[in-house]
Amino acid sequence: MARQRNYMKLQLEKFGKTLISRELGSEAFKAFQPTLREFSKDEDLEIDFSGVLTLSPSWADEFLSPLLNQLDDKLILLPSDNLSVHATLRILQEANKRPFKIKS
Amino acid sequence: MEEELLTISQAAEYLGVSLNTLRRWDESGKLVAIKKDGGTHRYYREKDLEIFASDLMRFASEWIQDGVEFPGTFYCPTSSSFNARLTKMEYALMQKPGFEKMYSLITLITGEIGDNSFAHNLGKWPDTAGIFFGYDLAKGIVVLADRGLGILETLRQVRPELPSHVAAVEVAFTEFISGRAPEKRGNGLKTVREVVMEQPIDLFFTSGDAEVRMQGPDKEFHVTRGQRIVRGCLAKIEFK
Repeated sequence: MARQRNYMKLQLEKFGKTLISRELGSEAFKAFQPTLREFSKDEDLEIDFSGVLTLSPSWADEFLSPLLNQLDDKLILLPSDNLSVHATLRILQEANKRPFKIKS
Repeated sequence: MEEELLTISQAAEYLGVSLNTLRRWDESGKLVAIKKDGGTHRYYREKDLEIFASDLMRFASEWIQDGVEFPGTFYCPTSSSFNARLTKMEYALMQKPGFEKMYSLITLITGEIGDNSFAHNLGKWPDTAGIFFGYDLAKGIVVLADRGLGILETLRQVRPELPSHVAAVEVAFTEFISGRAPEKRGNGLKTVREVVMEQPIDLFFTSGDAEVRMQGPDKEFHVTRGQRIVRGCLAKIEFK
């Protein structure tokens, strides 16, 4: 986790390269809680998808959706050219009825 | 060069089935053994076993309809064993020319369908737990099947008024609803439908007597009523 100026960066591949299953997503979110507690109120959290091979909507709904709820527009997703990341983010935005903030 | 024949024990190991299964299959004509010089011992050509093992759809559908045993290599008893094999498939797909980006979408839809079987049947498997998961990347086919509750029975836990398998499968693929209340929603099959609609991927899916066929360039999503009823689910994903 790199801490620079006012943002924290998470390499999502630390949780695995093939991210499937709701159960595993939920476990990952729980494992991330201690780090989240250290997180300062005026910091952004950037999520980096590089190295992730497959991201599934079940996993992501248990990890990214609660993060979005909690962090609001302090959650920033870095752009990715992975097709499963695109498909997953699209369906989650539809299900959550709100967009993710993606860094341009 | 004389072709080496495998003994029945070697064939059983090759296919991952029991000796008795091979004897039954020989008697029923499903996989006929070679008997040398009119003797009683059964022998098999490795090439024949290879061809036999490659008919994934037949294995999966005979298993969920009639409980017929299939080669052990295709059996994933738990979601962890499924995950492990899925990762293997993902890696192999990445090496396939033309699939350097597509691999993640095929892995996504396979992962969602397979994981659904475990998630929705946890603690409720009517008989055999686990799933059939077979793939042949050269042929561009992935087959998944389970003998679980099936879509209708699963969704009736939250929508008791669902009238038929067709109605339930339609809801499963189009609505954000989960059979595991109070879990907020299921989005896996919605994603599967969207990905299949937009990509050169064909999908056949059945549960109960409901069938989804999304094939070819003008594919559409609709659910029809088929001739046979299966408990559980069967999915065939095809790509070139």
